[in-house]
Amino acid sequence: MMQVPGDVQIIKEDNVTHSFCGLACVGWMYQKIKDSFFLILGTHTCAHFLQNALGMMIFAKPRFGIALIEEGDLSKSEPTLEEILREIKADHHPSVIFLLSSCTPEVMKVDFKGLAHHLSTPDVPVLFVPASGLVYNFTQAEDSVLHALVPFCPEAPAGEKKVVFLGSVNDATADDLRAEAEELGIAVGGFLPESRFDRMPAIGPDTVLAPIQPYLSRVAVKLARERGARVLNSLFPFGPDGTRAFWEDLAREFGITVDLRDREKAAWEKIRKQTDMLKGKKVFLTADTMLELPLGRFLKNAGADVVECSSAYINKKFHSRELEALEGVRVVEQPNFHRQLVDVKRIKPDLIVTSLMTANPFVGHGFVVKWSMEFMLTSIHSWSGVFPLANLFVSPLQRRSLLPAFDEEVWLEGVMPSAE
Amino acid sequence: MRLAFWLYEGTALHGISRVTNSMKGVHTVYHAPQGDDYITATYTMLERTPAFPGLSISVVRGRDLAQGVSRLPSTLQQVEHHYHPELTVIAPSCSTALLQEDLHQLAAHSGVPQEKLLVYALNPFRVSENESADGLFTELVKRYAAPQEKTAAPSVNLLGFTSLGFHLRANLTSLRRMLQTLGVTVNVVAPWGAGIDDLGKLPAAWLNIAPYREIGTTAAGYLADKFSMPAIYEAPIGVEPTLAWLRSVIDQINRVGAERGVPPITMPKLHNFSLDGINAPSGVPWFARTADMESFSNKRAFVFGDATHTVGIVKFLKDELGMKIIGAGTYLEQHADWVRKELEGYLPGELMVTDKFQDVSKVIDEEMPDLVCGTQMERHACRKLDVPCMVICPPTHIENHLLGYYPFFGFDGSDVIADRVYLSCKLGLEKHLIDFFGDAGLEYEESTSSGEPHEALSAVTTGNGHAPHGVTSESEQGSGEGDMIWTDDAETMLKKVPFFVRKKVRKNTETFARENGATQVSVEVFRQAKESLGG
Repeated sequence: MMQVPGDVQIIKEDNVTHSFCGLACVGWMYQKIKDSFFLILGTHTCAHFLQNALGMMIFAKPRFGIALIEEGDLSKSEPTLEEILREIKADHHPSVIFLLSSCTPEVMKVDFKGLAHHLSTPDVPVLFVPASGLVYNFTQAEDSVLHALVPFCPEAPAGEKKVVFLGSVNDATADDLRAEAEELGIAVGGFLPESRFDRMPAIGPDTVLAPIQPYLSRVAVKLARERGARVLNSLFPFGPDGTRAFWEDLAREFGITVDLRDREKAAWEKIRKQTDMLKGKKVFLTADTMLELPLGRFLKNAGADVVECSSAYINKKFHSRELEALEGVRVVEQPNFHRQLVDVKRIKPDLIVTSLMTANPFVGHGFVVKWSMEFMLTSIHSWSGVFPLANLFVSPLQRRSLLPAFDEEVWLEGVMPSAE
Repeated sequence: MRLAFWLYEGTALHGISRVTNSMKGVHTVYHAPQGDDYITATYTMLERTPAFPGLSISVVRGRDLAQGVSRLPSTLQQVEHHYHPELTVIAPSCSTALLQEDLHQLAAHSGVPQEKLLVYALNPFRVSENESADGLFTELVKRYAAPQEKTAAPSVNLLGFTSLGFHLRANLTSLRRMLQTLGVTVNVVAPWGAGIDDLGKLPAAWLNIAPYREIGTTAAGYLADKFSMPAIYEAPIGVEPTLAWLRSVIDQINRVGAERGVPPITMPKLHNFSLDGINAPSGVPWFARTADMESFSNKRAFVFGDATHTVGIVKFLKDELGMKIIGAGTYLEQHADWVRKELEGYLPGELMVTDKFQDVSKVIDEEMPDLVCGTQMERHACRKLDVPCMVICPPTHIENHLLGYYPFFGFDGSDVIADRVYLSCKLGLEKHLIDFFGDAGLEYEESTSSGEPHEALSAVTTGNGHAPHGVTSESEQGSGEGDMIWTDDAETMLKKVPFFVRKKVRKNTETFARENGATQVSVEVFRQAKESLGG
C-alpha cells in the first residue's frame, strides 16, 4: 500500500481486469481530429477488436485502418508501408497520419520512431503513437496521441497568459468550456487537441494547462518540462463539486478570485432528485475507462457510499486532489477482477459501474449496472454536464424500479446454456 | 502487408472462445496482452449472457517480458480456485505465439492437474475463426467421446451449433421440432450447451447431423471413422432440401434400426410439421406460384457469404423462388471448392472468392443487383447504393441478434427467408403503379443526410459526447464516381424516374454520356441514354 497526502490508501493488485487496450482511443480520436488518419500496424486481432468491441461498424470510409501483419511479414526486418500510405493519401487526403503501435510489432521490435520519420513528408507528417496492450490501457493512448501532437503546437511567447484545455471533448462541450472561461475573465488559448491538425494551440511558459480528462498525465508532464507550462492542480470538472473547484482554481492561476459557492449549491439543487436517490446507495466502480476517480469522488459528495473505486492507473501527483477528496474510500489500482467478483457478491452494491464486457453478467447476477463507456460518450463536463452526469447514475436505478419483479428461474432459462 | 478496414472472419482466438463459451464447465485462458479479451464483449453484448463467459486473460505486460516473468501459472491457479472448471483451454495470442513461449511448460508449472488443461497452441497468423473452432471442437470430441451402447430409441446428435452462430437458437428449435415430429430424440447438441460428459455420450446416438460446413463436419467425420456413426451434412435450407433432409434422416435411422431390430420410422403427414400441426408446413411453394411472385422472376440476385449459407441461399432463390442468380461468392477460401461443386450449374460465371469487402462492394456497384444476400458488410455497401440487401450469415451486427423465432433451417426457415426476400426487394404491383405514374406521393427523402449515426458506436445508446460529427459526411459521396454535371432540365427529368431505380439510372446515364464523349448530361443525352439502354 502507498501513502498519499490525505492518507488515502491505494491498494495495488495484479491488473487481471476486463478492459480494452490503447487502440480503443481510435474510436473517438479519429472523429475528434477531422483531417487525420489513424493507421494501426497490427494483426487480425487488432482489426477484429476495432470492428467488434466498440460496435464501430461505421464503414462509410472510416478514417482508420490496419496495416495487416500477416505470417509472411513476420520474417521481414522492417515493415514496408509506402504502398499503404499512398493508398490512404489517395483516398482520404489526411493532413496527418497517426501510426499506432500494437503488441505484435512491439514484440518484433519494430523501430516505430524511425519508421514514422521515414514515412513523413513535409505535407503529411506521420506521427508515432505507442498504444499497445503490452503497456497501455483503454483511454491511455489518447495521452500518446496528444504526446505526438506536441511538436505541432506552436511556441506561445512568454507573457501570453492563456489557458489550454487538455483532453478531447466534442465541439459543443469545447464551446461551453471556452465560454465559461471567458466569462470568468480567463483568456483561452485553445484545446489540445483541436478538431483540425493545423490548428493545435500555442503553448509556452505562461500557458496554464487545464486537464479536463484524468488520463493525460504524461503529456501534461511533457509540456511542463519542455514548454515550462503550468499544469493546473485541481479536481476534474465533473459534477458541481469538481466543476466549482476546477473554475475557482483555474481563475486563481490568472489572479482572479471567484466564489462559486452559490453556483455549486444551485447545481446540487438542480440534481436534488437524483442525489436523493443516490444517498446511501452502495456503488462499486470496476476499472475500465480511467474516469473512475472523479466519478467516485462525485458519487461520494453526492451522498453515495462508494464501496470500491478502482482504476487501471493512478498517478499520485496528477490525481492528488481527487485522491484527497476520496478519503475514506477503498481505492484500488490495477485490480484483480476475480477478487472483485467475490467482493461484489459479498457487499451486494446497489449499482456497479463497469465495462461492456462485464455489465450484462452482473445484471444476470441480480445487480444494477451502468456501462462505464457511456461516461466517455456523454457530455458530462462542467456546469452543463452536471445533469447528464447525475442522470447516468440514476437512470438504471430508476429503470429497475419501473420493471416488474423478475423470476430468473423462468426468464433466464436457456439464455446461456453453458452457464446452467 | 495490406491495408484492412473490416474483416469477414474473426481470429483464431474468437474461434476457440466460440466453442468454449458454448460449453459447460470449460474455461479459456488467453495468454495475451491487455485488451485481447475484448472478445468477451462479443458474448456479453451480442448474446447478452447473464453469466460471465468462462474467459480469463493471463495478462502479458511489456515489463513482464523484460523481466522474463509469466503470469500464466498464477492465472491458471486463480481460475481453478474461483471457477473449478472441468477443463481449461489455454490459447496463445499473436504476440505470445511470436515469442514462442512454451505454453505446455508454463501450464505444468501451475500445479493444476494436467488432465484438466488443454494447450491449443495453433498459429494465430495462419488459422482463422472457423478453422480454429472446427479444430478445437474435433480435438475435444476425440478427447472425450467414449465407446458405449446406442440408445434404445432412435436418436441423433446435432453438431456444430456454436455460440454466436447465425440464428443459432431458432435453427436449433426448427430442427428439434422436425425431429420430434419424426419421433427421433436428440441425444446431444454440441458444443452449444454441452458439458464434457455430454461429449462422452456422443457415440450413443444413431446418427450425427452436422449441417454447418464450417464447424462440426470434421468432428462428425471423426465419429464416422472411429465409431462407424453415419452422418448427414446437408443444411435443410429451403422446402425441397428440407424434404430431402427428412427423407435422409428417416433412411439413415432405419438402416441403424434394421441392424438393431427396431421397427422403421416413416414420413409423417407433412402438416404435422407445421406450427399448429394442421396446416401446410410452409407457405413457400404456394407463395412462389402466386401472381405476386411473377414480378420476381427476372429479379437479379447476388449472394456472398460463408459456405453453408451461400450455397443454401443461392439454391433457394433459384430453385424455389425462380430468381435469377447473377453471381455468388464466399470469403472462406478453404471451403471454396466445396461451394463451387455444390453450385455447379447455378452460376453464370466463376465463384468469387475473396476476403476483401471492397472487392465485393465493387461488384455490387458495377452490377447493381435487385437483391443482395450477404453479410453486414454487403448490407452497408448496398445501403450506400440503395440496393436491397438481406443479411444471411456472419459477420453480423447487433441487429442480427433478435429475440423472435427467425430460423433459416427447415420449413419454418423457408418461410422466414422468403419473407425477408419479399420485404427486401421492391414490391410487385406497387412497382408497376410507380413505374407507370411516377412516384408522386411516394417520394422518399433523397438520402443525403443519414449516415447511420446509430451504427456508429452503437454499443452506446446515449452518444452525445463524442458523437460522430464526422461520420455522416463521407457516405454522402456515395456511388458518384465522376464529376458529370446534369443540366437542371435533365435533373428534373431524372426526378420523374422512380426513386428506387434513380441512382442506377443516374449511374448508367453518366456512363453512357462518358462513353459517348458528352461532358454533361442534358435532356438530349438523357433521352438518348434511355433509348439505347432500353429505358
